[in-house]
Amino acid sequence: MFLLDAPVTGKRQVAHGMFVIGMRAPEIAAEVRAGQFVNLGWAGGPLLRRPFSVYRAEGEHVEVVLKAVGAGTAQLLAMEIGDRISCLGPLGHGFDLGGAARSVVLISGGLGVAPMPLAARDAKTAGLPVTWVHGARTAAELCAETDGDQVVWATDDGSQGLHGTAVAAAPAGDLVLACGPNRMLAAVAERWPDAQVAVETYMGCGTGVCLGCAVPLARGGYDRACKEGPVYRAADVDWSVLPSHLPYAISA
Amino acid sequence: MTPDLSVAIGALALRGPVLAASGTFGYGTEVPLLERRALGGMVSKGIFLRPREGTAPPRIAETPSGMLNAIGLQGPGVEALIRDYAPQWAEWDFPVLVNINGETAAEYGELAARLDGVPGVAGFEINISCPNVEQGGLYFGNDPRAAAAVTEAVRKRTKLPVWVKLTPMVSDIGVIARAVESAGADALCAINTFVGMSIDLNAHWPRLSFRTGGLSGPAIRPLAVHLAHQAARAVRIPVIGIGGIARAEDALEFMIAGCSAVQVGTATFVNPKAIAEVHNGIAAFLEARGFASLGELPRYLPRD
Repeated sequence: MFLLDAPVTGKRQVAHGMFVIGMRAPEIAAEVRAGQFVNLGWAGGPLLRRPFSVYRAEGEHVEVVLKAVGAGTAQLLAMEIGDRISCLGPLGHGFDLGGAARSVVLISGGLGVAPMPLAARDAKTAGLPVTWVHGARTAAELCAETDGDQVVWATDDGSQGLHGTAVAAAPAGDLVLACGPNRMLAAVAERWPDAQVAVETYMGCGTGVCLGCAVPLARGGYDRACKEGPVYRAADVDWSVLPSHLPYAISA
Repeated sequence: MTPDLSVAIGALALRGPVLAASGTFGYGTEVPLLERRALGGMVSKGIFLRPREGTAPPRIAETPSGMLNAIGLQGPGVEALIRDYAPQWAEWDFPVLVNINGETAAEYGELAARLDGVPGVAGFEINISCPNVEQGGLYFGNDPRAAAAVTEAVRKRTKLPVWVKLTPMVSDIGVIARAVESAGADALCAINTFVGMSIDLNAHWPRLSFRTGGLSGPAIRPLAVHLAHQAARAVRIPVIGIGGIARAEDALEFMIAGCSAVQVGTATFVNPKAIAEVHNGIAAFLEARGFASLGELPRYLPRD
């Protein structure tokens, strides 16, 4: 884990209202794995850091993807090249691609694209064919950078790709990795109990000490999205108790 | 020359005045990027006799310059603490106090008896101020007789240092401070979180599943300085200041207002190096003003 003073190196738009911010954070870029996150703080920002899944990591740079949903994300999006972000990471437990899978299906809803470019990269490195199913409310909100051996689009209003949810549009998969609103992940859990899903929660510290990011478990009790998570086996989460639709959340 | 930052809290000698506050440092085993030499001591996450699941999410909500939390004292219970954490503490070069909790005074006493003599346990912080439990907690902290009864129950079962963490949710903190001093406390910790509430405008419902939570962070600092000062005026035992400390200047406010040491809490969530920065900043402050030790720092502490 590293705490770096990371200069902003770039920003680009990837969908309506959705932006990617890049920063120079060499140690984190070298270590981060798909599904892990960074906890970001900045001068004049909110009290608590904000967690973001790492979207891409190349060379000395890491990227995160975000929408302006509140004052904090608006401040991040207003940053100029060279502005400094305090970047703590990599944090959490990411996707595990080490099993006996022969192919991978990625399912992302909205900002749930966040951990998927790294997951696609790692799957390709492991020689696994990748099908990426990406859904959003409308065509304009679909992330333009989705890629894979096969890409399937889904929109709630039918304006692009299949009319309906990404979960409904997904083909049968050997290894399913999913990220999106918790209600979407609950639907993933019904269809693929063994899917690996990255959940959304509020977070305090991001390092395992505050117990603020409690994830209710099917076997009872809670553990920490920031430490044991944010990636879980879908059937291990008690979806009836995990809140969804957070105005601000780690990944969706 | 580097100023001497050591302090004595009763019989307990600390190498520095900055401690990690309960609930913000876990059991000390997972805190990243820790500069241990800056740590005067640590207070463990609150423990009960038995394991507790804690409250349902959402457990935290950010507020202006602060945060509300309702964790509900999630924890593994005292036996797991003794088995998994105390052996590690015994190896460390700073004292670890255990924050103890119960639903009855007798349960606090039982916990102290169970932990007394366990290697690695240097003392107790009695939590009579947690706002996030259904039974006990705050109830003991806002009644001087109940506060004294809990303190006595612990005092009878241990010779280790006994600190009592006070709630700000009282009309006169001096009354509670004197009651626990008379009951045998070695020091007071002032203060725990304020009870607060924040509403989700879309859900028309509180943002925390527990409805209310404990407010911490810089938002409460001036309130905390005042209450710690009032507690310090009321008693002769040391007071450890807590509440929104993020920088050395904040800690110095508490110390000039009468506190012997401080605890840093929420700031650690934001900045894993906060404790070290506060410690080093206090040293720099004293050095710049020619004070050779923390004891030379002038205090504003008229006695009641």
